Amino acid sequence: MIYDMTPVQWLKHVIFHPIDGFEDMRWKKQGSLKIALVIVFFLFVAQVVKSRFGGFAYNMYAYTSLFSIIPILIQSVVYYGTWVVANWALCTLFNGEGKMKRVAIYTAYSLVPYIVCSIISVFMTYFLTTDESIWISFISNLGLYWSLLLLIFGMKACHQYSFSQTILSMIFTVVGMLLILFLFVLMMSLFQQVWLFFYTIYTEILYRLRA
Amino acid sequence: MVSKMQKSKIKKLTAALISTVMFVSTAMVSAVALEPYNSYIYSASGPVSSQDGYTVDKVVNGLDMGLEQLSDPSSPLFISENEPAVLNEPMDMFRSAKGEFYIVDNGNARVLKLDSDLKLLKCFKYFTGSNMSVTETDENGVETTRELNFLKNPRGVYVDTDDNIFIADYDNSRVIKCDQDGNILHEYTRPDSTMYTGQTFNPSKVICDNGGNLYVIVASVNTGACVFSPTGEFTGFFGANRVEVTFQLIVQRMWRNFYSDAQKAKLAKAAPVEYANFDIDSDGFIYTVTEVANVKTDAVKKMNAAGKNVWASLTDIYFGDQNQTYWSNGTTIQVRLTDVEVAEDGLIHVLDFTSGRVFQYDPDCNLLFIFGASRDNQQGAFSAPNAIESSGDYVYVLDGRKNDVTVFKKTVFGQCVHDAVELFNKGLYTEAIGPWEEVIKRDGNYNLAYEGIAKARYYQGDYEGAMEYAKIAFDAEIYDRAYKSYRDEYLRENFTMVVVIILLVIVLILVYARLKKKGIIKKGWFIRLFKKKKEGGAQ
Repeated sequence: MIYDMTPVQWLKHVIFHPIDGFEDMRWKKQGSLKIALVIVFFLFVAQVVKSRFGGFAYNMYAYTSLFSIIPILIQSVVYYGTWVVANWALCTLFNGEGKMKRVAIYTAYSLVPYIVCSIISVFMTYFLTTDESIWISFISNLGLYWSLLLLIFGMKACHQYSFSQTILSMIFTVVGMLLILFLFVLMMSLFQQVWLFFYTIYTEILYRLRA
Repeated sequence: MVSKMQKSKIKKLTAALISTVMFVSTAMVSAVALEPYNSYIYSASGPVSSQDGYTVDKVVNGLDMGLEQLSDPSSPLFISENEPAVLNEPMDMFRSAKGEFYIVDNGNARVLKLDSDLKLLKCFKYFTGSNMSVTETDENGVETTRELNFLKNPRGVYVDTDDNIFIADYDNSRVIKCDQDGNILHEYTRPDSTMYTGQTFNPSKVICDNGGNLYVIVASVNTGACVFSPTGEFTGFFGANRVEVTFQLIVQRMWRNFYSDAQKAKLAKAAPVEYANFDIDSDGFIYTVTEVANVKTDAVKKMNAAGKNVWASLTDIYFGDQNQTYWSNGTTIQVRLTDVEVAEDGLIHVLDFTSGRVFQYDPDCNLLFIFGASRDNQQGAFSAPNAIESSGDYVYVLDGRKNDVTVFKKTVFGQCVHDAVELFNKGLYTEAIGPWEEVIKRDGNYNLAYEGIAKARYYQGDYEGAMEYAKIAFDAEIYDRAYKSYRDEYLRENFTMVVVIILLVIVLILVYARLKKKGIIKKGWFIRLFKKKKEGGAQ
């Protein structure tokens, strides 16, 4: 095997060699953050496509004018971000070798099959009837499980864990994600109250100055 | 330049114009909105404004019915000097096969028989031939026993095709079967059977099927309607409701596993709710409504002779207001469906006690019209709607607090919709297109019309048209069917082209593989378009 490859070739290599690919990439110190960010952008695009496109019989709500980008943004970029932060924070404490940058890159690389397969399945809904939905669910499930597999081996290579350690760390990462999101919401509401407090003081002073 | 004078003149003119337009438009609105409510209908995305399918024709109270004859000694209908000439909390109304109306005047303990114009024909107040007796003690302490010849808190009435009258005599614990002269033919009382476990027998509603079986809704009996054979024997219960599965119930079921028997015995039992009212159609199907607020399970049922709900498998239909919200201001209401009526032509009317709305459905449970309201003392609004009946173009709603009958008449628009629905349900899809288009002309929000046209186009073989209308109607099922046929047709017509394209793709792949093998195209030529990075350059 010759490891003289461009970043895009590395991406291809990783995707089609789920078990060894990430190990290879780690030892050759490959992986580009730029490509990772492009992939995250495409993750967002895929989620938009999933909610706004599709055959009428499959996705009627794509044909209404109601559309909010916030939940889609949360479902893609925010989830990705919290995953990276939670995984890095957790695995650093538990002897994981991965740096945050590497976690970000490996996670993004492993999402590619999911993105591609969701876009393909949305494309297929234009041509298939609901009786043939098995093909669509097959494609989207294929992408999902493929990505999951890649993610497991990606995280394994990233932190140099054993298989069971990886699974455990991933489960705890999900818990960590929930914690982060919860704290985030809590913080938002607290800041709102703090802001309100200062605003009341400001108006109070204003009234007194005027009087 | 426009001078200041001219400017102000223009301003004044526009102001005048705008105010005129506003005045005219408000005048138009008040001229159109005769009813004390805004008509609406449910489209796929929720409630939308709609045209009136029915408008109030007249409101008939006791005086209009001619009830003063009952206290007029010169009238043949005379009962007594102080017989009230008004209704008092009427509870039920029934339209017999002959087109005559029977109203249970609960507060006055009588049953009124009215003709099709709601004019009094007869009053049933006292009956003869009862086997039951009542013992009364007067002020001197003398006990007298007399025949139970009167009604006490009557709640329901039914008249069979032979003009026998069945009256649910609630507080006298009996159902009376009598002829047109008030002679009691049979009295149905609390069954002696071990099957009947209730302590009391308080019949509230009654119907009779073609075979002469009597169905009685009895208060606080939740195992279904009591059925009496034509000979008067109790034969069992009919069509109990199912228990609604709530979150609370699931939690309780879970806890039961950990409880001791003593604890289990203390738990509240999950019991089905009894139905409030029912009606029977000409085919012998029995329709029931459950009045408990916001009940989702078995709110409206259509049952066959075996007591099976034939609509049980249809999960996407529901009756009454959706999401329990008012269309106008978004406040939550409690839907309490109090009466159901099936017209001769199969249309189903469901009456909501809380909102005073009548929901009209076609035989396939498609919502056609919503009319009526609950507020105010205006015509077309109700404070205690108790019963609904219909005949031809008219719908009659009995109000138990306003003590009158409101008569709704079908509008031209209503007739349009009914024409279309009737043709469509007969399978005359092509013929139904005309009426449906007329409906759309009058009300572009009417979703069922688009659905009807989509189906009609589909059956005509115009699949593209069907797809277009299915999209407007927001009906994925019809769209899917139409699309399937459209795709089949397309592939059949363009078979050669499709085959050619597939062959071309295969040939291209083969050529590409061949060229690559010969080294004319190098491996990874596409990826090499990107800049090559040295090993270890990234991190």
